Amino acid sequence: MSNNTTTDPAVRLEHVTKKIGRKTIIDDLSFEINRGEVFGFLGPNGAGKTTTIRMIVGLMRMTKGNIYIQGHSIRGAFKEAIRQVGAIVENPEMYKFLTGYQNLVHYARMVSGVDKERIDEVVKRVHLENSIHDKVKKYSLGMRQRLGVAQALLHRPAVLILDEPTNGLDPQGIHDLRHYLHQLSREEHVAVVVSSHLLSEMQLMCDRIGILQKGKLVGVETVNTFVNEGGQTVRLTVDDCAFAAKVIKDKLSLEAVLADDDTLEMTLEKEKIPVIIDTLVLSKVKIYAVVAVKKSLEQRFLEVTGGKSVE
Amino acid sequence: MLNKFAGLLQNENMKIYRRGSFKVMIAILIGLVLLVGMILRFNTPQPSTTATTHWKQQLQAQINQDKKQLPSLKADKQVYETFKKNIAINQYRIKHNLKPSSSETLWQFVMAVAGNMITIIGVFTVIVVATSIASEFDSGTIKLLLIRPIYRTEILLSKYVSALLFTVLSLIVLFVASWIVGGICFGFDSASEAHLVYSNGVVHQTSWTLAVWQTYLLDCVSLVMTVTAAGLIAAVFRNGGLAIGLSIFMMMAGPIAVQLLSRFDWVKYILFANTDLTQYTNGVPLRSEMTLGFSIAVLAVYYSVFVLVGWVFFTRRDIKA
Repeated sequence: MSNNTTTDPAVRLEHVTKKIGRKTIIDDLSFEINRGEVFGFLGPNGAGKTTTIRMIVGLMRMTKGNIYIQGHSIRGAFKEAIRQVGAIVENPEMYKFLTGYQNLVHYARMVSGVDKERIDEVVKRVHLENSIHDKVKKYSLGMRQRLGVAQALLHRPAVLILDEPTNGLDPQGIHDLRHYLHQLSREEHVAVVVSSHLLSEMQLMCDRIGILQKGKLVGVETVNTFVNEGGQTVRLTVDDCAFAAKVIKDKLSLEAVLADDDTLEMTLEKEKIPVIIDTLVLSKVKIYAVVAVKKSLEQRFLEVTGGKSVE
Repeated sequence: MLNKFAGLLQNENMKIYRRGSFKVMIAILIGLVLLVGMILRFNTPQPSTTATTHWKQQLQAQINQDKKQLPSLKADKQVYETFKKNIAINQYRIKHNLKPSSSETLWQFVMAVAGNMITIIGVFTVIVVATSIASEFDSGTIKLLLIRPIYRTEILLSKYVSALLFTVLSLIVLFVASWIVGGICFGFDSASEAHLVYSNGVVHQTSWTLAVWQTYLLDCVSLVMTVTAAGLIAAVFRNGGLAIGLSIFMMMAGPIAVQLLSRFDWVKYILFANTDLTQYTNGVPLRSEMTLGFSIAVLAVYYSVFVLVGWVFFTRRDIKA
């Protein structure tokens, strides 16, 4: 890829604060995004996801702190920093009275090193060969989204930022994009930053996620840790729920709740599961099923953000 | 660096000329020239042959008549100067055998349409510059435009320069169109007509092309100020309609307001009291104490303020759209 400064993280935020008037929109954000990973921004509306993205790409100024892209400060060395970034901020708005190709030529003229071959290559990658010479006003939302991805990739950025990238894509398109983003991050070591309101999508797409709430960073974790933190939930289908619950409480001092007529549910560390099964078997409880309930990112998200609505 | 700026200009030009409104503007420009040409053509009496054969005697009679009147006109300096000028030019014509045209000529037509057509070009350029800046905010494309390794100052400059290039292109279209229409309506044989200039009591011949472009240039002072104001409003309020409406209103109402207020001495500091520089070449200044140098200084101050405020707002403000 274009840059090989391996020592610097792709994106580093240092105590980034944004105040508008007296209101603090973003409060002391510090974290890093590495090359080769897909990083997701998660947070309810108004949490500051878009503001953070806008500050990373220099569309908004920060009140305090600094953001470095491949070691270059977006405040102090704007051109060097932004050269490493390709982005779609919110919707992929293009010039509708121009063709898709003219739009790409427009952006190609603004950076060095993008020739005709590169444009054709990118067009092929986003599968727009057949409509690239049509005016953008004729494009569907999904086509515009793909053209947006194309303009972001033209100059081979080290950091690719996509705000709500699955918007308007059909399931096949989402699948292709996911595959493509993984490929970019794994094979070309691009740091991919996405934000999405489709949490299930984030779960499939991201390696790590950062959760924003009211302008503060609630946590940065890998998707797996994030989902499984706070314990594993298991469901036990048994012959006598009341008796089983009593056994669990008396012998292991654990709390099990009734999830169904014949099902108990409890949340506990993974290691405790075999202990419970042993105990129940010894107490002659008949176990018909043990199901580990995989918590979705969404549930976990609601837990972390205190049950606020997701979008 | 320069290479990249050329690319930015190419981008802005593409965005101006690929819009449907560009073709409409050029069509209106050519259509109006044609319309005015037709109206003048069919309302001008055809020259009678007798008048053309005895033109030297007629001119001499005119000179004698003017000379007789001259002493009685000394009170009004302006009228007096006009008469002196007419006498000198007519004498020059007889001496150099330059027949005055008895009807409208190609070049007179080119000159006659210049003022009003440049006002229309001004309106078009205001639309171009306001659209160029504000539509990026309206459509949201500003976000993709400003995340390139290019300073906002360079983007704004490319938009401003490309709008002024549009003015130059429109002036060339106007010149060519009015020359052709003038030729069709009043005959191409007058294309070689001499342009006589009277200055400091002496008459000399100059080229009509030069004279026309001088007029264009003087008329563009007001245009450039209005276009710069439109760019400023678009950059500050990010609203194309407001920028177009307000700056065109100012361009139209300003000179009238200034005339109405001309008895106050502070009126000379108002922009519109100074945009018409022809008041110093062939006319009376709005106020007797005003000079060409004063007007240029006032224009320079307004221009600097417009550019500075527009630049600060465009480069400093957060993009939230």
